[in-house]
Amino acid sequence: MKHLFLFLALGFLLTANAQNNAFKADEKLTFTAGYNMSGLMTDFAQVTMETSSVKTKNGSLLRLKCKATTYTKWDNFFKIRDLYESYVNPTTLTPYLYKRDINEGGHYKFVKYNFNHKKKSVKSLIRKKSKNFESGFWDRNETVKIKGNTKDIVTTIYHLRNLDIKKASIGDSDTFTVLFDNEETKFRFTYLAKETINTAIGKKECYKLRISLENNDALKGNSNFLWLTADENKIPVYAKFKVAVGSGELKIKSATGLKN
Amino acid sequence: MRLLFIILGLISSILAVILAVLPLSNFAFFPAIAALIFGILAFIKSRQENKTKHTVQLIFLLTIIALALATFKSITATTEIGDTEQLEQLDENSLEDSKEELDEIDISE
Repeated sequence: MKHLFLFLALGFLLTANAQNNAFKADEKLTFTAGYNMSGLMTDFAQVTMETSSVKTKNGSLLRLKCKATTYTKWDNFFKIRDLYESYVNPTTLTPYLYKRDINEGGHYKFVKYNFNHKKKSVKSLIRKKSKNFESGFWDRNETVKIKGNTKDIVTTIYHLRNLDIKKASIGDSDTFTVLFDNEETKFRFTYLAKETINTAIGKKECYKLRISLENNDALKGNSNFLWLTADENKIPVYAKFKVAVGSGELKIKSATGLKN
Repeated sequence: MRLLFIILGLISSILAVILAVLPLSNFAFFPAIAALIFGILAFIKSRQENKTKHTVQLIFLLTIIALALATFKSITATTEIGDTEQLEQLDENSLEDSKEELDEIDISE
């Protein structure tokens, strides 16, 4: 009985992949990233998630873009300018190209993945700053073998919005394999409850999900949560991550260009 | 006991000033309140023992500076994002580069 249920749960999750019902091109979500300690909140960055349509010779792709920018008061202390991009199939959300360009407090890193789903491999390029090379950069090219459904981090976030959570029951979970820093990491999302929370875009009924990593301890403990609105758009309105003292938060500020 | 309160009060008040100067000014309130409590305790002890209160005055002075600065910053705080010109440029360049690369792949894969 248990297996049958698991099979059914997996079944609906897989069928949900076929169609993208949660978002369209030109959607823009803006978030405020902050640190909360005993109720005192300090905002330090703005995070945006945008989608746009990209025309190529062979068809049209969806560009998923995430940007993180620190607020002016933080720029002198720890300046962050991050750009994460993923070019995906508009219906199946299969990633073809992923780019990560991070600039955090002087630390620079560029990562590029070219996905080859036929060969189940990823051509990866990791670029770091180095004084030992004339160009000023140190490049590492590698080919990484992946599993059939491995995605990048940006696609996974959008893919999560496309799951048919309303058919799931409390306690159900699903695992996604994410390629990050050339390693396949398993993210587990568990549906915990339906909650109504106050957000900047109004009072929303939300699905509360717990995020955990299976073979990595970057997200410690079981106190990392994500709230997705319980409508067709499934907007990530609030996220909470446990850190050593206090917690990190991601709150929605505005949402435009929604599909539904 | 008086010396302990003075030391704790000084440490908390200095910490409050440092936090108030940093962008983390919201968190200066915690050590500032601690500094005030230790300062009052040190003041009472000094009076009981009839000893000098100069260091206690310093604790209060530092705490008041920290509180004033933290309050001022929390009222006038702006949550504006900094200069993103470079990031926008990077965004555009990246899109152009990606288009070239994506032209070569077969999307039906």
